[in-house]
Amino acid sequence: MTTDRLLGATAIAVAAIMFVFAYGLQAPFAYEPVGPRAFPLIAAGMIALCGVILVLKPGEPSAEPAGPIGALAALSGGLVGYALLFQPLGFVIATTIFMIPIAMIFGAKWWQGAMTGVVLAVSSYLLFDRMLEVVLPIGPFGGII
Amino acid sequence: MDTLNYLMHGFGVALAPINLLLATLGAVVGTMVGVLPGLGPINAVAMLVPVVFALGLPPEASLILMAAIYIGSEYGGRISAILLNVPGEASAVMTALEGYPLARQGQAGIALSLSAWTSFAGSAIATLGIVLAAPVLAQWALAFGPVEYVALMVFAFACLTGLLTDQPVKAMLAIGLGLAVSTIGIDANSGVYRYTFGSPNLVDGVQFATVVIGLFAISELLIMLDTMHGGAAVRIEQLGRSLFNRVEMRFTNMATLRGSLIGFFVGILPGAGGTVASALAYTTEKRVVEKNDPEGSRFGQGDMRGLASVEAANNSASNSNFIPMLTLGIPSSGTTAIMLGVLTLYNLTPGPALFRSQPDLVWGLIASLFIGNFILLAINIPLVGVFARMLSVPAWVLVPFIVVVSAIGVYSGKSTTFDLLLMVGLGVGGYLLRRLGVPMAPLILGLVLGKILEQSLRRALSLSAGDVAILWSSPISIALWIMAAAVLLVPLLLPRFTRWRHKTALQVD
Repeated sequence: MTTDRLLGATAIAVAAIMFVFAYGLQAPFAYEPVGPRAFPLIAAGMIALCGVILVLKPGEPSAEPAGPIGALAALSGGLVGYALLFQPLGFVIATTIFMIPIAMIFGAKWWQGAMTGVVLAVSSYLLFDRMLEVVLPIGPFGGII
Repeated sequence: MDTLNYLMHGFGVALAPINLLLATLGAVVGTMVGVLPGLGPINAVAMLVPVVFALGLPPEASLILMAAIYIGSEYGGRISAILLNVPGEASAVMTALEGYPLARQGQAGIALSLSAWTSFAGSAIATLGIVLAAPVLAQWALAFGPVEYVALMVFAFACLTGLLTDQPVKAMLAIGLGLAVSTIGIDANSGVYRYTFGSPNLVDGVQFATVVIGLFAISELLIMLDTMHGGAAVRIEQLGRSLFNRVEMRFTNMATLRGSLIGFFVGILPGAGGTVASALAYTTEKRVVEKNDPEGSRFGQGDMRGLASVEAANNSASNSNFIPMLTLGIPSSGTTAIMLGVLTLYNLTPGPALFRSQPDLVWGLIASLFIGNFILLAINIPLVGVFARMLSVPAWVLVPFIVVVSAIGVYSGKSTTFDLLLMVGLGVGGYLLRRLGVPMAPLILGLVLGKILEQSLRRALSLSAGDVAILWSSPISIALWIMAAAVLLVPLLLPRFTRWRHKTALQVD
């Protein structure tokens, strides 16, 4: 199975889910001929049509090599972890901890990663939270940490 | 003259100290962003969306900053293309074809300054074109009602799928996905919740900033892993003589002019930005030179005319991109789509009425394009060495920086873990889609235009009490439907066009 067929099949599945959830949408008081249901159904139809075309007439698979799967998984995992712990750990701690492995995926030594993490965490906290008044989560100890 | 008055007024806005400062800042940041591989104008503008709100900037100041970054990155993209044969962004691919051989011959300095000059010339010609064409187009578009808008947006989508990519189906799929995302949240007309799945986080839809940052900035990091495994050491060629001379300028003048005009007209079309413009300008210039001056053609081995026309074209296109965006509310590139999205976040409805209701914004932006280009020329010729040195910033500094700025940007909107997770999820999803050949710019266009398209469609059908025939009831709408059909069908009927598109797509890749 080529990747295009897979993409097409996924598109059809997405369209089916959209269709199921959109079908029941009805406005309690209809004062216009086109309700809230039509447009999602049009979008779903468009996605489904593209999916069918891709399944029936898949193109050549891309020749570009993908990156090492381990690194891709590690980066995705690191980003998910950062997103999850951004609030509970506070901005400075979460940033320092998670930027070390992320920097290392891109070829840093651990101490280079640690330096990047600390400098980025502290400087962007000061810049955004203190100067630009973008409120960032504080740490479990109630301060910058 | 009315236009002249408005333009003078615009210069008044653009020359206000804060806006001048933002334009300068944007020019510097934009050039840097263009130099750095993996950080295109789209990513930079996307990461800025939340920041301009956090700063509490008025709409015209936000747009001036973003526009300066956008045009600046076109200047920056040429630096790494010429010095390293690594295009900093997509539209600089053609720049490398002639620029890099020149650098190998010890003429990097000339190539850089000459291309800075032609970039400037292209931008200036395009900006002049905006001043002349935009008010006329806006005046004409004022007559557009919901019916014409529906047809216009369908035409824009058709252009995106028909002109832009090698695989139109995937572009159409991207548009569909964008339209689908635009329906998430509470429906403004009826109060019905759509696709919220019971989550309070989705009631007012998906945050625009979260989507663009996830799809562009985060997915780009994963793409960087795909392309990184060479780990090539950066070796910068000697710059040589740093300024081009009068002979070289006269030699390239016609090429610059041709490139600027091609870029201008390509840039107006929805969906076709600097990438298509530079490819078209390059092939045209090559043909012209080979016909008139076959002896002197050094195309492929460092012909200055090729370099001049490409740089003029892609900068001209990135400026004339603003015409459909400002006059019709139809963005013609991913970056201008984000700027339009920003306008809607300020509760401004993009479209021809902006020229009347927001003269400060429209004319301030146009004037700032002039000013921004002067600033870019002024910083790009003397400081090129400084920007070139940025090429040695290691990925392990750049990537954490992008992650942190993205996360702060997304978090600043609603301060929820949900949005951060959504950003990462969209980043991974965007990466997979891009790997499968689904382009991201049409998705953003679908997202930005989705709400307007749905509202226009519903308003039009309310006017006709549900009769769909109203959609092709006016001459303008009929013309637009025919044009949309033509754009979609011509490639199917003309295999020669498909081959041409395939070839340019390959060159652009």
